[in-house]
Amino acid sequence: MNEITTTLERAGLLTAAQREHWKMAWLSTVDHKRIGILYMVTGLVFFTVAGMEAMLIRLQLAVPNNTFLRPDTYNMVFTMHGTTMIFLVAMPVLFGLANYILPLQIGARDMAFPRLNAFSFWLVPLGGILLHFSFLAGGAPAVGWFAYAPLSETPYSSQLGVDYWALALLVLGIGSVGTSINFIVTVLTQRAPNMTLRRLPLFSWMIFVNSFLVILALPILNAGLVMLLIDRQLNTHFFLPLGGGSAIMWQHIFWAFGHPEVYIVAIPAFAILSEIIPVFSRKPIFGYEFVAGSTVAIVFLSLLVWAHHMFTMGLGHTVDLFFVASSMLIAVPTGVKVLAWSATMLGGKIRLDTPMLFCVAALIQFLVAGLTGMSHAVAALDWQTKNSYYLVAHFHFVFVGLIVFAILGALHYWFPKMSGRMLSERLGKWTFWLMTIGFNLTFIIQHFLGLAGMPRRVYTYPDLPGWGWMNMLSTIGAFFMAAAALIFVWNLGSSLLRGKLAGDNPWNAWTLEWATTSPPPHENFHELPPIRSRRPLWDAANPDRPDPIVGSKWKAEITAPEKNKAGVIAFIFSETGFFGVLILAYLFYNARPQPGPGAQDLNLLKTGFFSLALFASSFTIWRSEVNLQRGKQRAMTGWLAATILLGGIFIIGQSIEYHGLYKSGVSVSSNLFATTFFTLTGFHGLHVCVGLILLLLLLGLAFAGDFKDGHSPALKAIGLYWHFVDVVWVFVFSVVYILPRI
Amino acid sequence: MTTSQFLISGWTWNVTSIALIVLSLVAYLVVFRDRRRIGWFTAALGVLFLTLISPINTLADGYLFSAHMLQHILLLLVVPALFLLSLPRSLSLAVRPHFLGHPFAGWVAGVSAMWFWHAPSMCNAAVSSAPVHALQTGSLLVLGSLFWRQILAPRDEERLSPPGAIMYLFSACVTCSVLGIIITFAPVTVCSIYSMPPANHLELLQTIRSGWGITPERDQQIGGLLMWVPMCLIYLSAIFAQIARWFSESKTPVSVKI
Repeated sequence: MNEITTTLERAGLLTAAQREHWKMAWLSTVDHKRIGILYMVTGLVFFTVAGMEAMLIRLQLAVPNNTFLRPDTYNMVFTMHGTTMIFLVAMPVLFGLANYILPLQIGARDMAFPRLNAFSFWLVPLGGILLHFSFLAGGAPAVGWFAYAPLSETPYSSQLGVDYWALALLVLGIGSVGTSINFIVTVLTQRAPNMTLRRLPLFSWMIFVNSFLVILALPILNAGLVMLLIDRQLNTHFFLPLGGGSAIMWQHIFWAFGHPEVYIVAIPAFAILSEIIPVFSRKPIFGYEFVAGSTVAIVFLSLLVWAHHMFTMGLGHTVDLFFVASSMLIAVPTGVKVLAWSATMLGGKIRLDTPMLFCVAALIQFLVAGLTGMSHAVAALDWQTKNSYYLVAHFHFVFVGLIVFAILGALHYWFPKMSGRMLSERLGKWTFWLMTIGFNLTFIIQHFLGLAGMPRRVYTYPDLPGWGWMNMLSTIGAFFMAAAALIFVWNLGSSLLRGKLAGDNPWNAWTLEWATTSPPPHENFHELPPIRSRRPLWDAANPDRPDPIVGSKWKAEITAPEKNKAGVIAFIFSETGFFGVLILAYLFYNARPQPGPGAQDLNLLKTGFFSLALFASSFTIWRSEVNLQRGKQRAMTGWLAATILLGGIFIIGQSIEYHGLYKSGVSVSSNLFATTFFTLTGFHGLHVCVGLILLLLLLGLAFAGDFKDGHSPALKAIGLYWHFVDVVWVFVFSVVYILPRI
Repeated sequence: MTTSQFLISGWTWNVTSIALIVLSLVAYLVVFRDRRRIGWFTAALGVLFLTLISPINTLADGYLFSAHMLQHILLLLVVPALFLLSLPRSLSLAVRPHFLGHPFAGWVAGVSAMWFWHAPSMCNAAVSSAPVHALQTGSLLVLGSLFWRQILAPRDEERLSPPGAIMYLFSACVTCSVLGIIITFAPVTVCSIYSMPPANHLELLQTIRSGWGITPERDQQIGGLLMWVPMCLIYLSAIFAQIARWFSESKTPVSVKI
């Protein structure tokens, strides 16, 4: 133990005062830098797990007709490899990196909501443990990381594995949304003076933009997971064609999330490239505006093209045609980025240190991934290659070739800032070359395997001409990558102990994180340099030829909203996606009348009355806010109590309705009407209950005299949430109760 | 009837529409002295001509839901946008009463025009009754102008700033995409009148069904997809323009108060 504390202390990661309780100092931390490191260490642990799973997969596939793994074991390993790499490696490591770097780059002291930050982080180990607990609870999920229905449904996967999978992803999804709300609000409200939005370094800008994608896309998956869990636990039929459900619906939901998810992990990789390539080319980025703007374009386009993952599903030529065209559009903004990075290097004084080597390789490999990606956008070609190793090669070029390489580049680049010590350049070069050779050996060959017809998602294959040696080469390549990973971990450990001291700015970089000590003090900065452009440290070092001043043009780039309000608005955006999916599902499943209970069994008048109570509560909470502003403490408390009363009446009304339905024999598994009805109104009711708890807390604070100064961001924020819950009910009420009657 | 015959004979030489197009051109010339932007105005009239006179109109008139959707998109999004771009830059569009100028009113105008006219009863009525059809055309142009006013008003200070405009456009895009998704995948017919087109033109119907291969189901799918994908791309193009505006060099810096 003493060695650990000594190491941490020497690396500046622990203060002398915390030496005695170093575990608590780390486990209870709300400091963004420590949370960032915790994220990355967690990601590294799961990387080891998922990496070993990858090795098992490659060992099984090394020779034809292999019996090393049993078929169902292979399916489990294969599912866990994919799920872990995406949700427990790529996302936590990138979130961790952003957690560490983003507040420093914008000159902030910490994230906007440090406790929410810690909460979001701790959901990652929880989700990871839930997912891996399935091994002990009768077997891990064996349905692929996409968990296509009906395979993922109880009749075909009766073990608990899929339930743990869904629960884990739900937990991780909530954590990701929490972190992303935090990033958005941090960028909007915690920037240093003069760090206007248009002066943001590209890394911070891209994480900011990417966070919007997370809060829009993750709730779609969460809604799907909830429906899958209800199917499995309560015997309903959302995705089971046997009971009138639709298996295609799962695919729509999954890929409506899944396609943006690719960009959720790719955009931070773009962000890393945009930061490292200019520093090691000794030139500012070529076309900052284009790189920054194309990121926004990617975010919006990525939400529009998910159906290209379903070309082989038989959606029909008409649908395919539209998505071929829109998918091809994505090549434009990504192409803009590739050009900008290349042009940055052109004519620059390139320094090929390890971080830059990784970024250059990532750039080239991403180009390959993009080109094979375009070939998948063509539906006719996609039908031939979608279910072959060609696709496996394609997405590993994205996930490993771009993202893992970018992460490795970023860790080599920012490790000195985090620890105060340089990573060994010699070991770094070994890591790089082993990784690059290994990666390309493993995955280039898989393009040809796919074109030769080898299907993916199979546990073994017959001894067809060429398949055997190509797979063997692929497996050998995987061992190179494993060796690279081992050297990297060794490098991390040994450099932490004995690495060369880094100093504040070892790479001569230009963004604010390099303006403080390595590692930064608890409060990040003692003093900030003047910020007039996008490269404040360049300006400080070259006062005779500073960058042109980036002026301010828009009020929005200077002013900051109130942080609680901004947080709740971001949360509302995210919840809109969740309810949107549930409402669409309700409309879809109830488009045709079905046997059994239906909308005609609902009592419009009774529910209408209780709904009025809920709508009225929006008025009362508004009055409460107004009275608080006027300093009328008692009136404010009264209106607040009235709000709680009205919300309570609504919940009682809903309970009476549920009770009545239950007594007449309608339960959640009666038919799809009942399933969708209880799911939609139930989740709304749950939100009302959460709102009521928050309002009761406020009431308690009001009685304790907390709002004496006539100002409370909490009341405003919770008021916004409460209005949102009411607005959702307007839609639910119209769709469920009114629409069937007209 | 072959396709080429239809392309020649399928024009709707409606006197009212033509008169309106000519009159508005005259009105533009009379009202505005500054005619530098008349190109935009003729473009708007050209699209209007295409929408109301060309064979698209014939197809939309009871044969193809997808043609109706194309008309709908052109009238709501393209013609009003071109019209606003054609106005002299000094013109103020401040409106009374004040709430009509509020972004929320503009947003509701643009989005509700989509949803309202695609309620099954309204969609059918607009095809079967001439006055309702005229009302639909007029309302789309007016509501579309109200929607775009927030983005394309001639004076810069009457437009939304880029972050607000992006939210405005993106949320409108999502809302219309959702309707497009519903129409594309609806297991039921949205606009039933198109599945039983007028019996007096069986020839054209045969060309559409067997020549072009558009069944009523596929027709509805194309309609939904037009709203889901290309229409969303119109909003996205406007978003890209906003990004360009956001990053463009500042002419009048805002004073920074710290």
